[in-house]
Amino acid sequence: MEEMEVIFRIKRFDGEREYWSNFVIPAKKGMTVLEGLFYVKENYDSSLAFRASCRMGICGSCAIKINGKPKLACETQILHLNSNKIKVEPLDNFKVIKDLITEFEGFFVKHSRVKPYLIRKEDNYAEPVELIQKPSQLSKYYDYSLCIKCGACYSVCPASSSRDDYLGPAAMASAYRFIADSRDEGYKERMEIVCGDCGVWRCHFAGECSEVCPKGVEPAKAIQKLRFKSALYMLRKLFMG
Amino acid sequence: MWLKWFDFRKKSLFHISYSLHRLTGVVLAVYLVMHLSYLTSLRLGRGVYEYFISTTLTPAFLGFDILLVLAGVYHGVNGIRLILHEFGIAYELRRPILYLCYVVVLVVWLYASYVLYSYVMGV
Repeated sequence: MEEMEVIFRIKRFDGEREYWSNFVIPAKKGMTVLEGLFYVKENYDSSLAFRASCRMGICGSCAIKINGKPKLACETQILHLNSNKIKVEPLDNFKVIKDLITEFEGFFVKHSRVKPYLIRKEDNYAEPVELIQKPSQLSKYYDYSLCIKCGACYSVCPASSSRDDYLGPAAMASAYRFIADSRDEGYKERMEIVCGDCGVWRCHFAGECSEVCPKGVEPAKAIQKLRFKSALYMLRKLFMG
Repeated sequence: MWLKWFDFRKKSLFHISYSLHRLTGVVLAVYLVMHLSYLTSLRLGRGVYEYFISTTLTPAFLGFDILLVLAGVYHGVNGIRLILHEFGIAYELRRPILYLCYVVVLVVWLYASYVLYSYVMGV
C-alpha cells in the first residue's frame, strides 16, 4: 500500500473543554504520525498544539497516545498502524495544557530528585582525571542510559496514576543507571531517596513501563534491581547503622 | 482517579495481570472478613455456626466457591511470579513465566473445581 486516506481523530483541549476533531490525511508510505499532525496544522487547523523537536526519536518531545498506546509520533509510521482511523490523544497521568501538550514540569522535578548525574567525592575541575571504565562495567547501566525522558512509561504506570508523589519509572531507571555506574560515589545519598516513601516500594510491578518504552530501556527491570538493593541497604542500615 | 489502576484497555497482559492481582486481593480480603465472621459465630453456639456453614455447602453457593478458588489460586500463583521478579530473578523470562502462570492457574483451578463440585454435589 503506497497511499491511502486516513482519518486522524485528535483529542483536543482548549483550556476549558475537551472535544474531538477529525481530519483526513493523505498518508503516504513512510509518513509518520508527527508528519500527519504537521499536515493538519498546515492545512486544516493552525491552532492544533503538539510538541516536537528532533523528529528522529532522540528528544522524546512527541510522545503521545496513538490508538490507545503511548508512542513517539516521529517514529510511528501511519501505514504501519494498519488502520484508516487513528486516534491521537495526549499522554495519561499528565495534566493537559492544550490539545496534545502535557505538563512535564513535575516529571522533570521527580527526575531531578534522584540526582541524575555522577556524584564524586573529590572533583578537581582544574586538573580533570579520566575515569576509566571497563566494557563490563559500562554494560551494567548502558541500557538505562538510553532513556529520552519521553514520559511514555510514566503515562501507563498504575502506581503513578494513583499516587502523585511516586517518583515514577523514568526517575527510578535513572537512579539505577547512576547507582550501577562504577564511577559514581553517590550510592548512599541516592539510596536514601530511592528507599523513601515515594521510591521503589510504591511500584507494584505491572511491568507496563517496559512494554511501552520506545527505546527499550526496561524501567521495570531497573526498579526490581533497585528494590533488591534497597532491601539490602535498609537491612544493613537497620542492623549496622 | 483512584480506579485508574483497573483501566487495562489497550494494555499488555502484564498490566492485566497486575489489575487482576489487585482485584483478587480485594476479593480475598472480603472473603477473609466473612470467614472470620463465620468463625466468630462459634461464640454464639455450635448450632449458629453449623447453620451458617450449612448455607455455604449448597449447590447455589457452589458458583461463588468456584470463583473464590479461582481468585485464591490466581492470587497465589501470580504472587509467586511477582516475588520471583521482585528479587530480580528471571526478569528476562518474564513473558514465558507469565504464560506458564496462567496455564498453572487454569489447571489447578479446574482440578479444584472438580473436587469441590464432587464434594458438594455428592458425585
